Amino acid sequence: MNLKATSRKNAIHVMVAYTGGCNGCDIEVVNAVLSPRYDVEQYRVLLTWNPREADVLIVSGVVAWQMVEPLKKIYESIPDPKGVVAVGACAVNGNVYKNLVGDIGQNEEIWAPVDTVIPVDVKVPGCAPRPEDVIAGVVKALPKILEAP
Amino acid sequence: MTSGEKHVEIEKELSFGPVHPALIEPYRIRLFVNDEIVEDCELNINMAYRGIEKLFDGLPVERALLIAERVCGICSHVHAWNAVRVIEGGLNIDVPPRADYVRVMTHEMQRIASHLILFGHAFEVVGHETFATRSFLLRESFMDLISYVGGNRVMPSVPIIGGIRPRADLTESLKRVILERVDEFEEKYKGYVTRIIEDPLVMSRLTGIGFLTKEDAIKFHATGPTGRASGWDYDLRTKMDEYKPFEFNVITDESCDTKARIVVRALEVFESLKIIRQAVKNLPEGPVVNRSWKAEEMDFTTAYMETYRGELMHSYALDSQGKIRNYKIRTPTPTNLAAMEHACVGDHVTEAILTIASCDPCLTCCTRAEVVDSGKSFVLSDFEIVRKYGWRK
Repeated sequence: MNLKATSRKNAIHVMVAYTGGCNGCDIEVVNAVLSPRYDVEQYRVLLTWNPREADVLIVSGVVAWQMVEPLKKIYESIPDPKGVVAVGACAVNGNVYKNLVGDIGQNEEIWAPVDTVIPVDVKVPGCAPRPEDVIAGVVKALPKILEAP
Repeated sequence: MTSGEKHVEIEKELSFGPVHPALIEPYRIRLFVNDEIVEDCELNINMAYRGIEKLFDGLPVERALLIAERVCGICSHVHAWNAVRVIEGGLNIDVPPRADYVRVMTHEMQRIASHLILFGHAFEVVGHETFATRSFLLRESFMDLISYVGGNRVMPSVPIIGGIRPRADLTESLKRVILERVDEFEEKYKGYVTRIIEDPLVMSRLTGIGFLTKEDAIKFHATGPTGRASGWDYDLRTKMDEYKPFEFNVITDESCDTKARIVVRALEVFESLKIIRQAVKNLPEGPVVNRSWKAEEMDFTTAYMETYRGELMHSYALDSQGKIRNYKIRTPTPTNLAAMEHACVGDHVTEAILTIASCDPCLTCCTRAEVVDSGKSFVLSDFEIVRKYGWRK
């Protein structure tokens, strides 16, 4: 491991972007970082609300149309190298909101899945995913950040 | 909200969110400030529109209940339960008493988890991180219990039409685990609440701000703990048939401020624990689900119930094939929003966010109808939607 990777490993900042789901995933993500049981802060993974100091972007929720432009902006303002983790069935494939068989067919109000808007590295399925899964997803996105030149 | 008829000079407008969707929930607060005193407040909530009411149209009933559960991730059980209550009331489906007990028990478990989220959020706004993380830790024991009952931490999907899923039935060992965990939790929680109430710093931060009088609470129909903290003794649980066998008190507080809203919720948790104990100990024997029902034509039916934030309404009709028509949901937050806006007025700017947080807004489930017209978005009332698009037939 080179010097850059060692120093990067010491402070991984995670940012949660909520794009209009049901709140379930967001609370699980915040739980994974903040709550003392899952506490990843002890491994120096910190939660931030500022895209300019973030390394990993966690996107949750169906992408409501109001959130498409802000999400692109957030993605652009995160400095390289960066990783994107789509958390929850909504962000991965649209969940029950996207594909319907009733009178109306596909829901056109939402832009899910997330990878139609920004490139996604890791997908964490589940409705809602457990905090352990969220942590595993973030860890899977780390090599990309650490090994970047 | 306007502050009466008299004209007030507005010096400055402060705006929070959601320029940045990284706020925990996407909403925008506009504070009209005069010399650091809030003269007027406006909350915009239209950031998470999913068109959820339209999604239900034309779906078979059993299938639509899956979506009903996903209206909100904090109060998922209550949406599923109320959606089921509509058809049970409309088609007179009998529910076995054992199923009702388990539904009530899950409801109260999620109430505790929801109130503890509020403490986490409110104390983070106050700036006391220890209390926030401690409440997240306490919440975990109930998330575990919910996952033991329903199989998922967030979406337990316990109710189905005519009863509960057989998977969610309580076994003897699960009953013992629940009683043990509830005792364990109560002891820890007592210590936690005592610490909060005896902490002079936190209490002085909460006391005397965000006043909402009883008259205003009734005028804006601020239901749930928000209204009860203003001394309005309004709890739909006292009127629901499902809650008849249980004994509990309705907590009210006359002091009408932010402290009252926190304290009412803190004390409600003890009442919920009481209900859970009664439900587990007196659980009647018998079947858990009544499958002898058939989806047939049903007139427009409405069901009201008490959620963790106030009064929830679900209503829909069924057509001749048993498909859902005209689903309507009203969550407690839209009525509480007006109360929040009113409670901010007259306080210092720094207290505004805390006051809004103490009313426990849940904004994902209250954004439902919106029309976009030439770049400007606005909310439509039910009548306008029907006039513009017609009833779906």
